[in-house]
Amino acid sequence: MVKSGLREKLMSGNEAIARGALEAGIGFCSSYPGTPSTEITTTLMKTATEHDIYVEWSVNEKVALEAAAGASWAGVPAICPMKSLGLNVAADFLLNLNLSGTGKGGLVVVVCDDPRGHSSSNEQDSRFYAEAAYLPLLEPATCQQAKDIIPYAFELSRKFEIPVIVRSTTRLSHSRAAVKVGNISKRKWSVTDGLPERLYNVPNPHLRHSDLLEKLEIISQEFEDSEWNSLDSRDSTNLLTVSTGICLRYVEEAIDLLDDNKVGSLGLVTTHPLPKKFLLKAMKDVDNVLFAEEIDPFVEDAIRSLSVNRPSGETPQFHGKRTGNVPAFGEMNTDILMEAIAGIQGVDYEPHDVETLAAVEKARDLLLARSLTFCAACTHRNVYWAIRKVRKKLKGNLVVAGDIGCYSLGIFYDESMNSMQAMGSGIGTACGLGQLGRFGFNSKVVAVAGDSTFFHACIPALVNARHKNADITFVILDNSTTAMTGFQSHPGSGTQAKNESHVSIEKVVNAIGADSVATGDAADIPSVVELLHKTVLKKGLHVIILASVCRLEEQKRVAGYDTEPEVYIDLEECSGEKCRICVDDFGCTAMSWDCEAGHPVILEHLCVRCGACVAVCPHGAIRQR
Amino acid sequence: MSKVYNILVAGVGGQGNLVCGRALADASCAQGLRPVVGQIFGASQRGGSVYTHVRIADHDTGPLIPRGRTDLLLGLEPLETLRAAVDYAGPQTTVILSTMEVRTMATRCEEDRHPSGDEVVDALAAICAKVYAVDAGAALKTIGTARALNAYMLGALAALGTTPLPADNIKASLAEIIPLTGMNLAAFGAGAQDIMDVTPVGRNV
Repeated sequence: MVKSGLREKLMSGNEAIARGALEAGIGFCSSYPGTPSTEITTTLMKTATEHDIYVEWSVNEKVALEAAAGASWAGVPAICPMKSLGLNVAADFLLNLNLSGTGKGGLVVVVCDDPRGHSSSNEQDSRFYAEAAYLPLLEPATCQQAKDIIPYAFELSRKFEIPVIVRSTTRLSHSRAAVKVGNISKRKWSVTDGLPERLYNVPNPHLRHSDLLEKLEIISQEFEDSEWNSLDSRDSTNLLTVSTGICLRYVEEAIDLLDDNKVGSLGLVTTHPLPKKFLLKAMKDVDNVLFAEEIDPFVEDAIRSLSVNRPSGETPQFHGKRTGNVPAFGEMNTDILMEAIAGIQGVDYEPHDVETLAAVEKARDLLLARSLTFCAACTHRNVYWAIRKVRKKLKGNLVVAGDIGCYSLGIFYDESMNSMQAMGSGIGTACGLGQLGRFGFNSKVVAVAGDSTFFHACIPALVNARHKNADITFVILDNSTTAMTGFQSHPGSGTQAKNESHVSIEKVVNAIGADSVATGDAADIPSVVELLHKTVLKKGLHVIILASVCRLEEQKRVAGYDTEPEVYIDLEECSGEKCRICVDDFGCTAMSWDCEAGHPVILEHLCVRCGACVAVCPHGAIRQR
Repeated sequence: MSKVYNILVAGVGGQGNLVCGRALADASCAQGLRPVVGQIFGASQRGGSVYTHVRIADHDTGPLIPRGRTDLLLGLEPLETLRAAVDYAGPQTTVILSTMEVRTMATRCEEDRHPSGDEVVDALAAICAKVYAVDAGAALKTIGTARALNAYMLGALAALGTTPLPADNIKASLAEIIPLTGMNLAAFGAGAQDIMDVTPVGRNV
């Protein structure tokens, strides 16, 4: 047994990245929350005062990256963590900054991809941005490496004065393992006087491109003998696996479980630019190569193209996503790799014996999907209930362009939200829909967004809607926090940190100048139905700001709900099985159905006594005492 | 590589799944082992399935238990336990199952589609070595809180003693994460006591 040393701590991949940033001596962190990246910045924010560093939740990822670049230009090492989709937002700036450079401070972009899209609206491999921006890319395989690689990434960034991208995935960011920590040294940087020269790419961006390509060639040389990459291969090896990131662990376990000593393992951490000679040498004498990476065949394609025009006999047979040996979508795991390796090696592999397999298949038939849902008493449910009511009044002629946040769950709530794309896309797509009346589009158009999303990406689209006189109603669900990712503050949050100022959504909307701006209370269903119905019938651009409550955030603040009037079912009035509106249609998770008795029951341990359901019952059977 | 002991905690968002995983990992560290914990949090906490993989070894492993290789399945909710078993359990698996259901939104409407408690236990018993079904709902009702399910289930796990983790270590680690007093402490004790009275069913009893 290996004793956990005093300096070892159990850390998530994200906490390890944050620790690495502190050990690298950063002075600046700017970020926008997004699963699975959020805890990097949260961890740094907790110790910002202790380490005398500046940490902010920026308004969006583009601003975060721009702010981090500003710091790096002035000599302050800066880290900018974000999720996959965040890099899309920041990409416009990144593909200029790469050519102009990051000055003396050093800038590391950490992007956390979400294979399978556990907490994302898409499945996206962000590594192509490294290729598009001609930037170095590092993919740590373990929590330990996640920590250790950050100081190296800063070294690289300072040496070449370009951003360096570190890529994690959900399973690394959110897994926990023992990490040996190092020292956090005294501050080694100081702010420069003024800025570096030529922080622009004109008039000859192509020449800056050429300069960057030269740097990339030198970095490729540096990666050739990089200690980050590992190779476990013997003379007897006939199949070499090439893994990136956490896939290395899956491969190692697959080889161990199959007990096949003819399979070698190459762990590639420096995935762009590739260490060409190192790879070609490792592949020279093996018959087969299997690629293990998430999500796209990024390294697979690059190595395939490396091998074009190689002498015959030196190019192995390649197996991976392009050949269908492993799926080209979703997460990787040990089982997928065991099957792929067994297939290439021509051995039988079956995870279960016949009896177990039959029992597993029988059990599978009993399973039911469990879809995500609003929390008990979530006021978003009230708003979508109101939207459904209004849609019914309009004989279905109401479309709702949705956005990104907890309220995205509206798509699972009788599709009361029709679309869900990128941050800010609700009001953006509504800008188009709101012009289609001239062509006979006869549905009323509603856009929905949360408060943090409003600041992140809705303002330009709202200005567009005003300028072009789009015929839409924009509903802002303002619960004063970034609820989905764990209650980060934003410019409109009720309480602000010292040295931060509040920005009022209502004032911003008024300044843009909607035809009407109304406020309402999302906890009061009848008033929301009335306000929404009245508003959507009007022509023009109208904004409704609904005061909303995140119950999870509330429960961190309030002791309990015992003093509120208890919600109960009046069985005299309840219509029972004939009705079921409260449970089947409204569906608050604090209410269940007693099958034997045939009436609803309040789940006391979940009910927060908000009373929203009282208005939902057409028979007046739900009451508060 | 030497033997890995795999614990899978399966439940629904909000049941204290992550706390269970953390307590088991910390308890492993306390005795010099190297746990790796794989979990998903984020959107799944909004009422979806939540799994925590706790892999205990003397070396670092990957964060996910391979198919069929769970040693101990700690089931916080019947349907989710069955779902986890389909993917991760096998003939060597011991299951500790709380019979307290969290119904899906769909099954509240279409009652007959939801598997009964007996169906779930039978299906688990056909796959796994031993299934211990505990009535956490009744115990927690007596104690007066439904929010101590994780303490109750860890108490049961600690008392059963099939993991490499001594009961005292689990208890001490849990106490570092949540206040192990009052109702939480009562739940931990009740879980430890209740499991002793359960007759397991399964392929190896």
